Amino acid sequence: MVRVLSDLRPVYVIGVGWHPYQYASETSYVELGLKACRQALDDAGLQFQCIDEAFVGTACLGMAAGRNIFKHMGATGLPLMHIENASASGSTAFRTACINVAAGLSDSALVLGVDKREHPYRANPGIPNLAEDAIVPFTHFALLSNQYTTKHGVSPEDVARVAVKNHKNGSLNQNAQRQKERSLDEVLGGKAISGVFTSLQCCPVGEGAAAVVVVSEDTLKAYNLDPAKAVRVLSSSAASEAPQSSDAALTKATIEKALLDAKISAQELDVMEFHDAFTIEELLYAEASGICNEGQAIHMLKEGAFDIGGQVAISTSGGLIACGHPIGPTGVGQIGEIALQLRGEAGARQHKGPRGMPRYGLAHMVGLGSVCYAHVLRMD
Amino acid sequence: MNEVPELLKPDLYARTPDGLGLSGGKCVKCGYVFFPFQQRGCEKCGAHGEDISAYELGAGGKLVSAATVHLHAGKNRTAPFVIGVIELDSGPRVRTLLVEMPDAEQRLGEMVEAVLVEAKNKDGDPVQDLRFKPVGRAL
Repeated sequence: MVRVLSDLRPVYVIGVGWHPYQYASETSYVELGLKACRQALDDAGLQFQCIDEAFVGTACLGMAAGRNIFKHMGATGLPLMHIENASASGSTAFRTACINVAAGLSDSALVLGVDKREHPYRANPGIPNLAEDAIVPFTHFALLSNQYTTKHGVSPEDVARVAVKNHKNGSLNQNAQRQKERSLDEVLGGKAISGVFTSLQCCPVGEGAAAVVVVSEDTLKAYNLDPAKAVRVLSSSAASEAPQSSDAALTKATIEKALLDAKISAQELDVMEFHDAFTIEELLYAEASGICNEGQAIHMLKEGAFDIGGQVAISTSGGLIACGHPIGPTGVGQIGEIALQLRGEAGARQHKGPRGMPRYGLAHMVGLGSVCYAHVLRMD
Repeated sequence: MNEVPELLKPDLYARTPDGLGLSGGKCVKCGYVFFPFQQRGCEKCGAHGEDISAYELGAGGKLVSAATVHLHAGKNRTAPFVIGVIELDSGPRVRTLLVEMPDAEQRLGEMVEAVLVEAKNKDGDPVQDLRFKPVGRAL
């Protein structure tokens, strides 16, 4: 019989850390990674020497890049695995760590997402196409936006309100690449990119790092770690594309499975981090998650239901649009943000909804429109 | 006699007695129709090789979505240009360039058809390439 994460032994996020996401710089990726790892270990109250294994999510750095980071932490010879899965690289590294710890293959794992935009490369399938060179991600999503607004009678200006919310959240996050609040006029008046998208409705791809420490109950007890910091990972779900499937359909299947395995409904979620690389994605994925019906997300957004303090806070970190999307770190950083929110440690951007302090959180990433990951976390 | 110009991507479309057709494939095992033609394997059932036959998809379809691209980093084309998603009458969805059509984003659901327009190959020689345009509109 196939088992799910919650059938195995409990697994917890106990430490979170970042190197702030930023525009391309001369800083070495090793410095980025070290800062995030050390912060996550300090937050956990664990020494690197206590960690059983490490997973590195990175899409652009090249072969076995993590060795150059961990050798400066007092190398212990721990198992080290690198994972490339496009934008979902960090989420995939986190899932792998959770599975290993839950299965009892290890008691603690350090998950690092780190990237610089050095060698972005896509495999060429060698099948000819009409004009795919002309259709980069922002146009893929501009096409989806045009379809959505036409079908549901939504104005492009309303879609831009996703960016206003997420830039506001980002302005409260010291690790965000964009930390400036923006008015609707500023968002709409920015540089035209594709379709109705302006630059402030598209995520910046820069550099940075995020790290989380994942442990078993045995490790919590053995090292007397702070139980108020331990956030349970309830479920981990993954899927990939079907013929002619959409980003939203793939997301729906993945989140449905994550909620089923976590034994909760979408309505119980308090905080969510989506792959909102472009404004329209937040609306598509909010609907795909099951928190509202198709065509309704725009109304919830305008009513403030997705704001910090609203019914369900979406992308409190600023999301990809404001926090940034350095690729490898993004999925790990989402887990870190959910953990901070569930602990009540998110400071100025702490969510407290109608039900009080948040208890359930969900993180979601899509990679190249073809792989999708979702995790549900709970504060016990 | 005028020479017929070469096609930029002859693997993807061909002149037909009716004008133009996209070159798709059909799975003999499950009936799945797709674009472009390939025999590596059916995306629906995995049948491959001789179990996939060439299948001409015609040139007509419906505009599903559109976007005018204002910013493009590649040196091979200059923004603005218009991209559309077209649901072909024969089934598959394709996405590619539309003819100059600044109001495309307001024209979803309209019938469109593939036509050949003048283009240049990588050596700069004149060729013809495929675009979609509204049915009934002159180029």
